[in-house]
Amino acid sequence: MSMLRQTVKPVSVVVIISMLFVVIPYQSCLAALIGTETVIETARGHQAREQVKQILNREEIQEALRAQGVSAQEAKARVDALSDAEAVRLMEKLDQLPAGGDGLGVVIGAALVVFIVLLITDILGYTDVFTFVKKRHVR
Amino acid sequence: MSVRGPDFGSKPDGWLSGTGRADRIILLLIVYLMLTGCGGALHRQWAQAGADLPARCQLDSAPFYPQKTFQCGPATLAMALSWSGISADPDTLAPEVFTASRKGSLQSAMIGSARRHGRVAYPVSGPETLLAEVCAGHPVIVLQNLGLSWYPVWHYAVLVGYDAHEGIVILHSGVIPYKRVSVKVFEKTWARSDHWGLLVLAPARLPATATEDAYVSAVLGLEKAGQWQAAAEGYKNALTRWPDSLAAHMGLGNSYDALGDIGSAEAAFRVATHRFPAQGSTFNNLAHVLWKQGKQQAALDAARRAVELGGSLVNIYRKTLEEIQAGADEERPCR
Repeated sequence: MSMLRQTVKPVSVVVIISMLFVVIPYQSCLAALIGTETVIETARGHQAREQVKQILNREEIQEALRAQGVSAQEAKARVDALSDAEAVRLMEKLDQLPAGGDGLGVVIGAALVVFIVLLITDILGYTDVFTFVKKRHVR
Repeated sequence: MSVRGPDFGSKPDGWLSGTGRADRIILLLIVYLMLTGCGGALHRQWAQAGADLPARCQLDSAPFYPQKTFQCGPATLAMALSWSGISADPDTLAPEVFTASRKGSLQSAMIGSARRHGRVAYPVSGPETLLAEVCAGHPVIVLQNLGLSWYPVWHYAVLVGYDAHEGIVILHSGVIPYKRVSVKVFEKTWARSDHWGLLVLAPARLPATATEDAYVSAVLGLEKAGQWQAAAEGYKNALTRWPDSLAAHMGLGNSYDALGDIGSAEAAFRVATHRFPAQGSTFNNLAHVLWKQGKQQAALDAARRAVELGGSLVNIYRKTLEEIQAGADEERPCR
């Protein structure tokens, strides 16, 4: 095992150095034009975040948030911490909910919205509300 | 030899025999309602879709190519591409879209192939958009499942018209041009692909039902395929309809930059900075193209402005600024 390590070490040093030779000349060009795709995704993420926050502004939602022991301010901060793609996914999930008042009571609807917001931020590791969301614990 | 299915009625101990007459009538009624119940809803859906449209539309400008075995993908794509002004025939397209192992063409391959020919591949879905597009003179590739949901027989056809009075759609399908299919049958087969449809358009032509986000994303596909000239045209076209599309402004500049037309790229990004003075990304890209032309001071100013404006991409703006500052000291433009 130690012999293997001894042979691997010099090889990896050589590899690292040669990789640096490849990377360094281009390093200065890494800061590039902002691609169109990034622009589109950023705009979508921004829009999704705004939509979620507008939903969080509704009174019944704030009520449901309080029931979970989370302030509206805190919930918004968590939504802000989401990446663009995550924010879009969250908004999609909320979009799939039955529209408020469609048979589903306002209170239940609000609880559901809050549940999904907290669940998604939970899964992504921004919150820790639900115990059934498994997380890798750092020890 | 005849294959006999289970014969429920004749067996004396059959599951229906014990039930009374009234039960049987109720059962039949339920089955009848199940079979016919959807029909009314369907017709309403299509009738609503065509409410603002002429009762009948037909396209005569879309050419027809008969398909060979399993080759409906290449055939329909050839029809759409030819209609859009690109000479194409199914045989030359087949290697691009046909997947031999699946005896068919994947939707993504159809989209990719259209883009590789410099055409905007714009997905459409639902009766409303379908009918509106065909009335606007755009043939639509549609994906149908002619089999069953659990035993699919996938098939591409090109919608070239409809007649609401007769309740039919008109398709270039298989080996039959202008095939008349009842809306009922078409809806059932089309619904199984989640109403998947595809427009193949020259970048100078906007879909009648285009939305900003979907269209700009479709043009972005041309960037991905390396079709920068077509992408630039597409973005320019998008800006005629949505002059306030940040993505289209940026895409136009990026496409010119990729084409090596740095002057036009600068002009595009400059317009973007005027329209979106609070967006750092516009200044970041302007800084880059100014720097490429050796306009150091202007590049520095733009890069500083981007960093000042900040935003989620501020780290990239900082890098741009550092790069230009470092390069200015060395008197060596990046690249």
